[in-house]
Amino acid sequence: MSKLSKVIIGAVVVWTALTILHLQMNLGVSLASLLGPKSEIATAERFRVGFLPVTCHLTCPVTDWINKNTAGKGFYEPVRFSGFPEIKESVIAGHLPATFMLAPLAMALVEQGVRVKIAYLGHRDGTALMVQKDSDILTVKDLRGKRVAIPNRFSNQYLLLRKALADQGMTTEDIELVEMPPPDMPAALYSKAVDGISSGEPFMAQTEMDGYGRVLYQAKDIWPDFISCVLVVSQKTIDEHPDWVQRLVDGIAKSGMWLEGGMDHRMAAAQAVATGYYNQDPRLLSFVLSKPPDRVRYSNLRLARADFDNIVNMAVDAGVLKRRLRFEEYADPRFSEKTAGVQEYAWQGK
Amino acid sequence: MKDRALSIGLPLLVAVVFVIGWHFAVQITGSDIFPTPLMVVAGLVELAQKGVLVKYIVASLFRVASGFLLAVFVGIPFGLLLGWFTPAMRAFNPAIQVLRPISPIAWIPVAILWFGVSDIAPIFLIFLASLFPITTSAMASVQNIQLVYIRAARNFGITGLELFKKVVFPAALPQIMTGLRLALGIAWLVVVAAEMIAVNSGLGYLIIDARNAGKRYDLVVAGMVMIGLIGLGLDLLIRQMEKLDQVRWGLSR
Repeated sequence: MSKLSKVIIGAVVVWTALTILHLQMNLGVSLASLLGPKSEIATAERFRVGFLPVTCHLTCPVTDWINKNTAGKGFYEPVRFSGFPEIKESVIAGHLPATFMLAPLAMALVEQGVRVKIAYLGHRDGTALMVQKDSDILTVKDLRGKRVAIPNRFSNQYLLLRKALADQGMTTEDIELVEMPPPDMPAALYSKAVDGISSGEPFMAQTEMDGYGRVLYQAKDIWPDFISCVLVVSQKTIDEHPDWVQRLVDGIAKSGMWLEGGMDHRMAAAQAVATGYYNQDPRLLSFVLSKPPDRVRYSNLRLARADFDNIVNMAVDAGVLKRRLRFEEYADPRFSEKTAGVQEYAWQGK
Repeated sequence: MKDRALSIGLPLLVAVVFVIGWHFAVQITGSDIFPTPLMVVAGLVELAQKGVLVKYIVASLFRVASGFLLAVFVGIPFGLLLGWFTPAMRAFNPAIQVLRPISPIAWIPVAILWFGVSDIAPIFLIFLASLFPITTSAMASVQNIQLVYIRAARNFGITGLELFKKVVFPAALPQIMTGLRLALGIAWLVVVAAEMIAVNSGLGYLIIDARNAGKRYDLVVAGMVMIGLIGLGLDLLIRQMEKLDQVRWGLSR
């Protein structure tokens, strides 16, 4: 046998070994289960629900965590993404039946003909605008001429900032806006690359916890009952599996109430989600969920037309949406309405 | 002997100077965010203790090996074909040259739309990135074959597939190998971009994940260090292939 054929065989052997190792170590599939009869769990229909490691999406992992601890297994597969563009593309391509997403982004998708509906809220509040601790920016007025980072133009943080400026008789023309992925914002503020940053938690609280950021405003100071992210479900899923969507919405409602059921619940969730789902320092989530406790809230999550009309109007003014979408076009409140009698998870945390 | 000591000693010296310089640069600027080399080592130890370091390395190697081998199996025959049949080359070459400079990052949205969030999308990106250097080097290698080899073979009555197997492929192999080495480097380079897609393992994912994790720049740099070291290992490995008899003749010319 020539040396060249040995190399080719070697390459195939190495690749096969890598495949087996990867399946076992990272995908949780053992060789035996591949060769043997298909196991029940592997073939059972598992729905994927997309989320980012931010507090606006916290109810997604919390619902899964509680179900795993009370029922032994979850009823959906939480899939962690690294940014909204990837989430958006997966939704458009139909690979993701449900996901948490920015409300204006979901509306813009609907406007562009993507068949999705907002089914429920994920949180209230949970956004701030941070400046450097020792900066001379003390009020919103002082932002004039400064450089402020927002996640993207389809974010509610952008609408929030526009409102904050408008309340002071200013517009976004008066400041310099930059778009930046939220995970990069703390470092940008620290290195003074920008003067202010605004995104969902925990990236804002991180700058405060590490001692170089200061809150200029919390969402609730500018826009009471602020909504950033919502649960978005594809129309196909709603048509084919309404029972499953209801189960998911109920689960989020229950875990939302559970999170509001006391500080011990929140701290247990912070610990479990930070280590099991977000891969963040648990101190960070504990900080966000407790200092102060109303920094982000998980109550009052039902869809309310007035909230959304407000967002649509602001989004149209900002040029994020082209026309005033009707509530029925982008929202399906049926699932939300049925959560009226839902009780919080009867579980004390471990 | 002295030569060998120098070839190991000098690079090591540069590395040591670099690491010391890095350490003091962080110390002097008093950066609270950028990690020192020691913090990066501690980060690597932490990852190893959690058991994820080996897992991530396996995941990245799996994706790179899959995408790269796929590109080898598609690119070499395709390139040889284009090199042999000039009209085919004329037809396909402009398309190849248009597709070649497109960064894999630009392909990410398309990859997600086509393949969703699974291992297939990153493998596709790595496949694309390594396909073009392999194809073009295979194509060029056939075109560069000295006509005298082919004429001589024809005089001996060798034609068709036999000619390809006995003359064209062996003559092209050294240059193909250079293309493979280049392509493997690119495939490994692309791993971070490829793993930005929602997979939850791999060294590229480690970097993205560390960004999400707050102030864990030690892990970001740890991921960079691992990618660099494994890249060096891969290059040394593929250089071994240049020592094959079938390849060496073309390089020692």
